[in-house]
Amino acid sequence: MIAVRPSSLSSLQLVALASAALVLLPLIYITTLALSADPAVWSRLWTTRVPELLWNTISLAGAAVLLALLLGVSTAWIVTRCDFPGRRLWEVALVLPLAMPTFVLAYVFNYLLGFGGPVEALWQMLAGPQARIFSPQSFLGVTVVMGLATFPFIYLLTRSALLNFNVSFEEVARTCGASPLRRIFSVTLPLLRPSIVAGVALVILYVVSDFGAVSLLRYQTLTYAVFQQMTGQLDNQAASILSVLLVILALLFLVTERWFRRKSRFYQTAGRYRAPQRIQCNWLQTVGLTASLAMILGAAFGVPVCLLILWSLSPEALAILDARFFGFVWNSAVLATLAATAGVLVGLPLAYLASRKPTWLNTGCLQAAYAGYVLPGPVAALAVLVLCLNLIPVVYGTVLVLIIAYVLHFLPAGLQSLEPAIQQITPNLEEVARTLGLSARQTVRQVTLPLIRNGIIVAWVLIFLQTMKELPATLLLRPVGLDTLAIRVWLEASEEYYQLAAPSALLIVLVGLPALGLLLSRDWRAA
Amino acid sequence: MSRSLHKAHRTTPRTNYHPLIGIITTCIVLLFSIIPNIAGAAADQLTVYSGRAERLIKPALDEFTAKTGIQIALLSSGTTELVNRMKAEGDRSPADVFITNDAGSLELARTAGLFRPLSMREIERAIPPQFRATDNSWIGLSGRFWIITYNTRMVKPDQIKSLLDLADPIWKGKLAIPNAGSEYLHAGVSVIRASIGDDRTKKFLEGLRDNAGTQVYQKSSQIVEAVAKGQVALGIVNHYYVYRHLATQPASPIAVVMPDQQEGGMGAIMNVAGIGVLKHTPRVEQAKLLVEFLVAQAGQKIFADLDKEYPLHPEVQADQALVERKSFRAAMVPLAKLAELRAPTLRLIEQVGMR
Repeated sequence: MIAVRPSSLSSLQLVALASAALVLLPLIYITTLALSADPAVWSRLWTTRVPELLWNTISLAGAAVLLALLLGVSTAWIVTRCDFPGRRLWEVALVLPLAMPTFVLAYVFNYLLGFGGPVEALWQMLAGPQARIFSPQSFLGVTVVMGLATFPFIYLLTRSALLNFNVSFEEVARTCGASPLRRIFSVTLPLLRPSIVAGVALVILYVVSDFGAVSLLRYQTLTYAVFQQMTGQLDNQAASILSVLLVILALLFLVTERWFRRKSRFYQTAGRYRAPQRIQCNWLQTVGLTASLAMILGAAFGVPVCLLILWSLSPEALAILDARFFGFVWNSAVLATLAATAGVLVGLPLAYLASRKPTWLNTGCLQAAYAGYVLPGPVAALAVLVLCLNLIPVVYGTVLVLIIAYVLHFLPAGLQSLEPAIQQITPNLEEVARTLGLSARQTVRQVTLPLIRNGIIVAWVLIFLQTMKELPATLLLRPVGLDTLAIRVWLEASEEYYQLAAPSALLIVLVGLPALGLLLSRDWRAA
Repeated sequence: MSRSLHKAHRTTPRTNYHPLIGIITTCIVLLFSIIPNIAGAAADQLTVYSGRAERLIKPALDEFTAKTGIQIALLSSGTTELVNRMKAEGDRSPADVFITNDAGSLELARTAGLFRPLSMREIERAIPPQFRATDNSWIGLSGRFWIITYNTRMVKPDQIKSLLDLADPIWKGKLAIPNAGSEYLHAGVSVIRASIGDDRTKKFLEGLRDNAGTQVYQKSSQIVEAVAKGQVALGIVNHYYVYRHLATQPASPIAVVMPDQQEGGMGAIMNVAGIGVLKHTPRVEQAKLLVEFLVAQAGQKIFADLDKEYPLHPEVQADQALVERKSFRAAMVPLAKLAELRAPTLRLIEQVGMR
């Protein structure tokens, strides 16, 4: 508005347009590539791979959501509605699995549940030497890994909803004589629905776009198939077709979620908010609750981390901690820094313009930037690859391509914290600064930027973290000699060299922890 | 938004430089800090794109560096992926040398005009002509055979004679196979097609697909592990993975069948790992030195002893544990033909719907 001079506005506008183009062009290219593919390739894919892949992807997403719901909602209810020693500790600890990338969890479970692994050995002691457990490389195995990796999303959202909603609704139901079960199903759960739906959407997008776990557990989903087609075929026709299907699938989920959210809005009746009474637990209940929480958290975080530490201390693992290893650490850190900085620089003008000057053009640019949501890693890689080959072949095979892919892929994550940060500042402050004689540039630098500093930090950290964990795009686009920690984990783990993968995996988890803390201390949703 | 952070900022002195400049400078500095890792920075550093597993090729390259002082930057990735990449990079490719595990891919790279023909006496002396391109633009380095590996507690050696037996429904759920994207599967299926025709190959692949179910692996070493643990009874792999496994775990209940040696059988499926020098490279001399090192007896011995492959140099002995090379015959399909057979092979594999 007034805060921005027309000339700088147009240059900002140019930047925003360029950013939107950066996101949209690859998507357009990949779609044209798919549409111009030989019809024979289409029909062959439809009759052979597509039905299986679609079914695998959708059923996995469904099953993972069920498991994550079960774990997330029940743990959230326990920590908000029960009172027992250690409750506060659990409340924080339950988000720890978010620091664990899916490929690390998958590789640990490959060992734990694997043929002749420790869990099977335990089971055989109980059920006889011929007893078998389900394989980690089955539908059930992948579901368990995905459910454990994603339940904290649902936990976080349900927990904050439970803390925020007014207990009087439940009390009214109780006075009217509803049984406890009926109260849960007709009052509590419906009230939680908006946050649960948001959590479910997060989980679905996460599962559908996951590459690390499904590739290590060899479970065929669309995302994994795109990667396989890119690495196994001499042209990218089939990969682009599968990519477009995947994008459509993700879009469908996203649209459904928006629709659900619009349908179900609940408002707090003003002024009558009371926090719920917590159920006081006796010692027996405390033991029961602690044991079940410990089991969930142990499976999702405790046991994997202990194993990683154990493996990292093995002589094989210690032997690889040389200059080469620290090179990988450095590469990861630099790439993540560059991607995070680029992401924030690209995201800021978009978010700023859309909230200060919400013309259709500006909001359109912002919405376009969110397209990265529906571009899973291999698809983003393919899109950037095709784009660069056609438009700017010079950069192909350089770090730049990789950075572009990261920005494209993780911009939505950054925007999610930049956008509300900017929206929270009233334009009045900027206007006051202008009236007091600051130039537009000075206003931005001395008023706007300091005010949204926390939003910027969170966005930066989020992109940094995601880039540290990124696997498929890095695998496909990395220049010579630029292996990252995530790549090393994946390469070693895919040949089942558990010990050799452990130090890198542990480091990724450790780097994730403080960042997780930073995010949670500010905004539980952002994680 | 935290108040304290906000206040803290207000009290810091205001500076007049543009914050963007600082950020961008830092980024550029960081970018350059990783550039020395990137190929081609050092004048005589060779950049090698390798489609072979890193642990199978790095020892040989390290020994080359130790001997000549020429540094090597190695990018290990999928073979087809790298061929695609070199094609896309064209003359700007940082790669000087391409090493991979499949003659078909080498031939494809040759027909795409990526390689430079070499005329070197060392090559002609060391490697028999059937293992290199007609114009020596790629040179085979080591031989490998498709073998059937089995768990000795679950299968008797006389139960299996031919690869084609593996399609028999009695092996349902007991067989591990490589995934549909692996080049050595493509090469093997190409040889089978050339030997027994498309229709029978299709039936065979359908049998494999049904018997393997979800036991489809990305890496040969995983198949060997699965057989050794008894998770499956049989697997199709390149021979050296079995011998490398046995070298570290001699007591493992695992053995090999050299398939299709019966009267009228197609013979064992052979492929070579090989090397090509890229056309545009300015470091021809260094690249030639690498080729020379790898085809010479010393280099060939690394492939024989460490990797357990069959060296192609006639005077270098294969590892004692391996099946004597003269005791079995290979399928009669020229290696260079694998390239033209590949596209229809891929179509067939996809038609069958292998994973």
